[in-house]
Amino acid sequence: MKRSAAEILREYGPFPGAEDVAGVTFDGQHVWFASGDKLNALDPGSGEMVRSIDVAAHAGTAFDGEHLFQIAEDRIQKIDPKTGRVLATIPAPGGGDSGLAWAEGTLWVGQYRDRKIHQIDPQTGAILRTIDSNRFVTGVTWVDGELWHATWEADESEVRHIDPETGKVLESVEMPPGMGISGLESNGSDQFYCGGGRSGKVRAIRRPT
Amino acid sequence: MDSLITAAARALAAGDPLGALKRVALRDDAPALALRGIAMAQLGDLDRAKALLKSAARAFGPREAMARARCVVAEAEIALVSRDLTWPAKALDAARATLEAHGDHINAAHASNLEVRRLLLIGRLDEAQRILAGLDPTSLPPASRVAHELVAAGIAIRRLQTKEARAALVRAEHAAREAAIPALSAEVERASLLLITPAARLISRGEERPLLLDEVETLLASEALVVDACRRVVWNAGVAVSLATRPVLFALARALSEAWPGDVSRGTLLARTFRAKHADESHRARLRVEIGRLRAELRALADVRATKRGFALAPRHTREIVVLVPPIEEQHAAVLAFLADGESWSSSALAIALGASPRTVQRALEQLAAAGKVQSYGRGRARRWMTPPVPGFPTILLLPGPLPGN
Repeated sequence: MKRSAAEILREYGPFPGAEDVAGVTFDGQHVWFASGDKLNALDPGSGEMVRSIDVAAHAGTAFDGEHLFQIAEDRIQKIDPKTGRVLATIPAPGGGDSGLAWAEGTLWVGQYRDRKIHQIDPQTGAILRTIDSNRFVTGVTWVDGELWHATWEADESEVRHIDPETGKVLESVEMPPGMGISGLESNGSDQFYCGGGRSGKVRAIRRPT
Repeated sequence: MDSLITAAARALAAGDPLGALKRVALRDDAPALALRGIAMAQLGDLDRAKALLKSAARAFGPREAMARARCVVAEAEIALVSRDLTWPAKALDAARATLEAHGDHINAAHASNLEVRRLLLIGRLDEAQRILAGLDPTSLPPASRVAHELVAAGIAIRRLQTKEARAALVRAEHAAREAAIPALSAEVERASLLLITPAARLISRGEERPLLLDEVETLLASEALVVDACRRVVWNAGVAVSLATRPVLFALARALSEAWPGDVSRGTLLARTFRAKHADESHRARLRVEIGRLRAELRALADVRATKRGFALAPRHTREIVVLVPPIEEQHAAVLAFLADGESWSSSALAIALGASPRTVQRALEQLAAAGKVQSYGRGRARRWMTPPVPGFPTILLLPGPLPGN
């Protein structure tokens, strides 16, 4: 397994009214991040917060190319980013759900303290498959057919590339001590966006090549 | 990090413990237990809260030291609010160090504040003041600042420093308004009442009037010789002669002072100090001995002169003698007088001080405790007694934030 230290490219925030950053996702233009009672759109170029949607947003966030998905309490909301309307809700699988990612027609949900990642049916919420991790799971993301997830246990956080079949850790990128990752999303190429939990920050880190 | 925990923590922070419980009621993982504990504490079920926080602290993994420390701090606050003073201070101190090491300065400061409140509560004023002086309240959230300033006011009131007390209460009031917690504002208001409620009565040349705390302070700083029945001390120009452990001598001093500038007859002195109805020669002999002792004790401040009828007090450095007595003199006033120093006393020390039997003192303490006028902590020989606290103790829970699950 390859290990490296995270290279932090840029820090965004903290933003007023969004003390706690949970899930993050990227719609190709804006980074969306959940902050409890809002979903906020951040322009990664300017670093400005450009919009926000009033919707319960307690953990992971994902984008399927058209809709935003947002975990709130024990359910996953499907949201129209244009209007901010909640179009549908499905039950979240675990009860202690954390990260959320979209890939190839299904949703992937991190179950924080149970150290699991579930693949679920986005229509019904039914669990299709479960991968075990050996660390608390926060963010989850797919990029170029690779499954990556963030861990945050005690004061330590890292981003891990894992085998989606076996759960085996292939590569790990360690964050500096005390810097946690609450949510994770790739920009589709060379970077990851990381939610910084109570720091109120969103951080861009380099994706190892 | 976990959706339901986040939702529950947000509900708690917004003052909705029932909303928080609704979300985590059926979960038994560590953060859920911690949140349930804090919610139960806010709902007033302190026993259940304590048990939940204890199991939460156990359930957090060995690497989750910070979360565990927050549970310990919350547990300590519950113990303090429920006046369980046997709570081990060491665990709180260790938790404070852990939080400091992890950069959680707000909760570390909260832990220090709890320690100071505990010290004030058990009457260890010097230590409380020392730790308080080392804390900087400016970085604390408003609710913690209220607690901090109330402790400062509490120490100042115990020390009769009314200006400091008033300033601290004003700061507490501002912080309470900023915190927007009505119960905290009410606490501050209640504490402020102490400054405008008579703290003692003054007896001067046969007349009597109530005194506020700052008037007491002014009086003690004045030229007058003050015979202080609240603390059983004779004060004059910065010199204090404590008669706390000499009840007979104090009774004589008080009787002579109340009559000053006149004298007091032997018969009256005998009746007041020895409760002797018919004075016989042995009583008179004893009075002579006690007067001799009083004369020796007060040598620097006043002379005790023999008159035709009895005795009179003559101050050395001043032309004024006054007597300070508690606002209400009641049964067991003597016991209360000793406890008025704000320190903690063992019942055996009180018995020695009062010259009464341990059993009598014990009975008095039990009656006073039942009436809510004194409180104790500790068990058996380690048991200590003191008057109920002056301010310094928000009875509402502030509890650590960020919450243990986060």
